[in-house]
Amino acid sequence: MDKLNLTHHISQQFNEELVSVRNRVLAMGGLVEQQMADALRALTEGDSELGRSIEQQDYKVNQMEVAIDEECSRIVARRQPAASDLRLVLTIIKTITDLERIGDEAEKIGRLSARLAGVERPGDRYVALQHMGRHAQVMVHDALDAFARMDAEAAVHVAREDTRVDDEYEALSRQSITFMMEDPHTIRQILDVMWSARALERIGDHAKNICEYVVYLVQGKDVRHAGYEAMEREVRERPLGIN
Amino acid sequence: MTRRWIQETLYLGLLLIVALIIGWFIGHVGRWLFIAVAIYLVWHIINLYRLERWLRYSRRFDVPGTFGVWEDIFNDFYQLKRRERERKWRLIQLLREIRESTAAMPDGMVILDRVGEICWMNEAAGRLLHLRVRQDVGQRLANLMRHPDFIPYLNSSHYDEPISMASPFSRGVHLSMSIVPYGSEQRLLLVRDTTRLHRLEAIRAEFVANASHELRSPLTVMHGYLDAMREDEHLRKIWGKPLDEMHHQTVRMTAIVSDLLELSRLETEQRQAPYAPVDVAQLVQGVRDEALSLGQGPTNVIMKVDAGLFLLGAEHEIYSAFSNLVFNAMKYTPADGSVTITWARENGDACFTVADTGIGIPAAHIPRLTERFYRVDESRHRDSGGTGLGLAIVKHVLQHHGAILSIDSEPGHGSQFSCRFPQERISHTIDKSVTA
Repeated sequence: MDKLNLTHHISQQFNEELVSVRNRVLAMGGLVEQQMADALRALTEGDSELGRSIEQQDYKVNQMEVAIDEECSRIVARRQPAASDLRLVLTIIKTITDLERIGDEAEKIGRLSARLAGVERPGDRYVALQHMGRHAQVMVHDALDAFARMDAEAAVHVAREDTRVDDEYEALSRQSITFMMEDPHTIRQILDVMWSARALERIGDHAKNICEYVVYLVQGKDVRHAGYEAMEREVRERPLGIN
Repeated sequence: MTRRWIQETLYLGLLLIVALIIGWFIGHVGRWLFIAVAIYLVWHIINLYRLERWLRYSRRFDVPGTFGVWEDIFNDFYQLKRRERERKWRLIQLLREIRESTAAMPDGMVILDRVGEICWMNEAAGRLLHLRVRQDVGQRLANLMRHPDFIPYLNSSHYDEPISMASPFSRGVHLSMSIVPYGSEQRLLLVRDTTRLHRLEAIRAEFVANASHELRSPLTVMHGYLDAMREDEHLRKIWGKPLDEMHHQTVRMTAIVSDLLELSRLETEQRQAPYAPVDVAQLVQGVRDEALSLGQGPTNVIMKVDAGLFLLGAEHEIYSAFSNLVFNAMKYTPADGSVTITWARENGDACFTVADTGIGIPAAHIPRLTERFYRVDESRHRDSGGTGLGLAIVKHVLQHHGAILSIDSEPGHGSQFSCRFPQERISHTIDKSVTA
C-alpha cells in the first residue's frame, strides 16, 4: 500500500502538525458521517425530533472547519511546505469545505424529514430515497477511508459510484413527477422528498470531489473533470510514491 | 584435560618427532620441524575455514567429516544448532497456535500502540470494524473508526466501562467496545457484536411497555365499578371493608402500571435529555406542598434552595425523580422527625439533596436499592403503599441527565439521597434563547 511519508521531516514539530491536522480532518469526517446517519434515520423512522436535532450538531462541524482552516494557514505561513506536504495541506483545505457542505446537506435532510414526519407516510416508506441515502452514505464513508489510507485506487472506485447515485436521483425524480401528476394534493410532500433526494445527490458529488483530491494528493495529478477512464489510467500508470 | 585434548597433544608430539627423525637422518632438522608445524597450522586453518563456512552458510545438518579435536568442536556446534532449531520451531508452533486461536475468536481484537496506530488485529476485528486485516496495520484507528462517540473514548485514559454504539457500517448491528491498557503503553481493543443482546433487550422493554399498557384499561374499569359500589349505602353495610381494600389495591396497581410505563419509556429513550431550563426552586416548592398534603410523615419539611440556580433538562422527568425522593423520605420518617431539601452548587456541580431523620437503611442494601421491586424488608412496604419502582425511575432519569445518585444512610439516624448534576446541566438564567 502506498503511503505518503508523513514522518520524514527533520523537524519533529512539523511532522506532528501535519499528522494532527490530518487526524482532525478525519474526526470532522466522523462527525459529518454521524450527522448523515442521523438524518437518514430520522427520514426512515419519521422521527421529527431527531431530524431537528441535527441542526444543533452542525455548529460543531462548522467550528472544526474554521479551526482546521486556521491550522492549515498557519502551516503554510510558518513551514512553507513543498511537494507532497503542500499537496496534503491543499487537499485538506479543499476536503473540509466539501465535508462542511455534506454536513449542511444532512442538516437539510433532517429538516425536511422533520416536516415529512408530520404528514402521512406513503406505502413504500420512501424506500427509493432510503436506498439512495444508503448509497451516498457508503460513498462518504469510503471516500474518507481512501483519504485515511491514501489509497488512490479505492478513491477512483468510490468516484465511479457517483454515477449510480446520479442515476438513482434521475429515476426518483421521474417517479416523483408521475406521482405529482396522479395526485396533485401530494405535490408539497413529494417536493420535500425531491429536495431530500437532491441533497443526497449533492452529497454524492461532494464525496466524489474528496476522492479526486485524494488522487491528487497521492499521484500529484489533477483529475477533476477528466472522466473516470482518464482517472483510472492515471492511477494505474503513474509510479506510486512520488514526491 | 579431556581425552581428546591429550590425543591432540599426542598428534602434535608425534608429528614433531617424525619431523625430528627425518631431520636427523637427512639433515636440516630446523627446516623439517618448520614444515611439520606449518602442516599442522594449515590443517587447523582449513578446519577453521570449514567451520566458519558451515556456521554461516550451511542450512544442512550433516557435519563435515574431520578428525581430532575438530570433530568434537563440530559435534558441539551441531548439537547447539539442533537445539536452537528445535526451540525456534516450538516457538513458531506456539505463536501459530496463539494466532490461530485469536483469529478464531468471535470477538474482534486490535492491538494499538501509544499514539493509537494499529499494530495487529484479528479477522473478526477486520469484519466488525470494516478494516483490512493486513493493509491497515500502521494506520491510526481513529482515522478509520471515526464515530464521534468512539474518538473521545479512545483518547481518554480511563476505560472502566465498555462503550456501546450502533455500528457505523452495517445497519442494525450493535457493537460493544472496551479498551484494556497493558505493557508499555500498549492498548488492546476488544470489539463484540452485541446485536442479539440489544435486540433481546429491546424486545423485553417493548413487552413490559405493552403489558403495562394492556393492563391499564381493565384496571380503569374495575376502579370505576368499585367507586360506584362504594357509593352505594346498601352494599357498604355488608361489603364495606372488602370494597375499601379492593379500591386501595386497584389504586396501587394503577400506580405500579403507570410507573412501569414511565420506566420503560425512560429505558427505551436513548437520547440524552433535552437542555430546557427548569426552575428547580419552583418545582421543589410544588413537590413540598404535595408531600405535605399526603398527611404522612413529618410536618417539618425544610427547604434550602438556591432560587438563582436552574437546571437544563426535561422538566417532567426531573419532577418525577425529585418527587419520588421526597415522598420516600416522608414515608420513612416519623411524624416528629424532619426532612431537609437542599438545592445548591457544590464544587462546580449542582446538587439536589433530600435528607431525613427517619429509620435509615442498612449499608448492605444500599447498592441494590435502585433495582426494581427491591425491598429492604418485607414488613416495610405493606403500609407504605409504594410501587417499588420509585428509585429505579430516579436512577434512569438521572442517567438521562448525566447525573449521579449517591446514597448515605445510617440505620436509626436517617438517610441522605443526593443527585449530582454536571456543570453542563447548570444555568443561571431561565432565558430560553441562550440554550437554543
